[in-house]
Amino acid sequence: MRGVRRAVAPLLAVTVALVLADSAVVTLALPDILRHLDTSVGQVAWVLISFNLVLGLLAVPAATAFERADPRILGALGIAVFAATSAWCAAAGSIEVLVVARCLQALGGALALVGCLELLVAEYDERRGVAAWITAGVVGTAAGPVAGGLLTEAISWQAIFVVQVPFAVLAVPAALAARPVVPDATPQRHRPAVWPNVTLALLSAALTAALFLVVLLLVEGWGRSPATAAVTVSVVAVAALASAPLARLLRPAPAVEVAVGCFLVAGGLAALALLPSAHLGWTVAPQALVGLGLGLSVDRLTVQALELRLPRARHAGWTIGARHVGVVVGLAILTPVFTADLQDAQVPAQEAITALVLDAPLEPQSKIAVARALGDELVGEEGRVPDLSGAFARLDLAPDERAAAADLERALDEQLERAATRAFRDSFLVGAGLALLALLSVLVPRRRGTP
Amino acid sequence: MTARAAALPALALVLVAAVLGVQLVQGGGRFEPLRPADPCVARDVTSQVDGIEGLTERLVLLGVDAAACDLRVGREALTLELAQREPTDAQVEALHDGLIAAVGRMRDDGTLPPASALVDEALDSADLNGLLEAAIRALPDAVVDAALKTDDVLVRAVDGLDLRELLASLDDTDDLNRQLEAAITRAVQDSLEARVRDLI
Repeated sequence: MRGVRRAVAPLLAVTVALVLADSAVVTLALPDILRHLDTSVGQVAWVLISFNLVLGLLAVPAATAFERADPRILGALGIAVFAATSAWCAAAGSIEVLVVARCLQALGGALALVGCLELLVAEYDERRGVAAWITAGVVGTAAGPVAGGLLTEAISWQAIFVVQVPFAVLAVPAALAARPVVPDATPQRHRPAVWPNVTLALLSAALTAALFLVVLLLVEGWGRSPATAAVTVSVVAVAALASAPLARLLRPAPAVEVAVGCFLVAGGLAALALLPSAHLGWTVAPQALVGLGLGLSVDRLTVQALELRLPRARHAGWTIGARHVGVVVGLAILTPVFTADLQDAQVPAQEAITALVLDAPLEPQSKIAVARALGDELVGEEGRVPDLSGAFARLDLAPDERAAAADLERALDEQLERAATRAFRDSFLVGAGLALLALLSVLVPRRRGTP
Repeated sequence: MTARAAALPALALVLVAAVLGVQLVQGGGRFEPLRPADPCVARDVTSQVDGIEGLTERLVLLGVDAAACDLRVGREALTLELAQREPTDAQVEALHDGLIAAVGRMRDDGTLPPASALVDEALDSADLNGLLEAAIRALPDAVVDAALKTDDVLVRAVDGLDLRELLASLDDTDDLNRQLEAAITRAVQDSLEARVRDLI
């Protein structure tokens, strides 16, 4: 029985991490989902948007429901809904079904998140419970794309949802077995902490650029595998974890910690906009800055939004709402920017490819064959970065020309990487701008002298 | 502000400045697709093959440059336009003039091969009277070069080409070769015949 009790809090924390990981977990799986469910880019984006939108909008109403119900029952119900709908997501045979399942998954997730906060506080105490809830959330947010990429590459996109089911199923009895929540003796009602939540929303919008666009750049722009992309973006999660000892070492004031976090996210995103090549190594330092910024700011802002405010569940709802509405706003701002830039990148990319083919050290007939194969490959690739390897694989060249053709293929791939990297630049800069707005929102209230 | 309070902001400033600084020094912000070269600036062109095919390639590359310069568009943009759409009259005219200008440029910079270097290849694919062909082959190179000017042959070939039909055949290599070889061979033939007749 003591063993079961010991597992309660870790299982609740894992549930928090799972729900918040779901915000970005499907990013690397979107191309696979698009192909498997035979849908469009616009529709598949709703797999991502729907979850964040529903979670963002329902977090506060879900928290309100906890004021009139036993958190163990409602929390367990939320986790059960989350588990069942995760399984439904994995079994979805059409994009419409998947989006509906994701909406219901977010509904269960909203109840699970608020319930887990109440139960973690009951298990530990106010300070440790809130800290465990926040840490689990930061880890889940940062690790979501990594886990999703590895599972998609190793098994399939459905595996992302399947692996969540057993953890969530185990968390249902854990929630029911948790210590009863002591009702607040004083029926106090504090107003929501506006500025921490505004900063959280702006920062979440900015982090969308780091968590979603980096993955898209690596997989769609640079042609890396989901697993490679997953390992690469794990830098964010590692750096986020490293921020805690750094903050303990330097012990900055909370406002300074948040401001520095926003500044690091802005700096990291600006650095992502100025990559000097498509080598994965160049993404490490910018992502480390983003991860450090995320670790320093998100948990501190969440603490500020919750600290000494009652009812705790409702204020937790506001932070969840702010974060996920921020993600949706980020997607709404960034998606059209990078889609349009990717479209605009086609002409310079085609011209660069044409220049290289015209000047290639190949015989005239081979150049014409290459041009024809590339033309065939580019048909139907509107808005996507093409994979030219198929065009070169089909060529029937003389043995003494193969080395030159291989050099040409490498040079053309580099031009595509250059075009894709350039196409993402403005989006990263917009993300950096959002992080600077978040920084401004930290500074403005202090100037006015408001708490 | 105490030293401890300033430590984290200072560290963040240093980290961001270091990352951005290193990236900018290494070319950050300039990692973009190759910019098309100005077609009005003369460039050297080479070919991997010799003979008429190599000469044709160099001529076409220089001709497209000259045409693009004339039309005030990039060489690559014009190439893509010609490959993807029916050419306009202005494009056909610019291409014709560009090819003629390319012949002039190659003549002036001494990159046109002597006619004797092209005669055997031209005769191989030409449908000439056997006696006339044998007579031409028997001529010493010096005589051929004195009798036949490569630039004259090329200008005749360009004038004889139906550029619109040629561009429509870009997807059919055999047809493209047939048209090019026929035009060049006919030009060599015309020029040789005219010269031989003049000599006789």
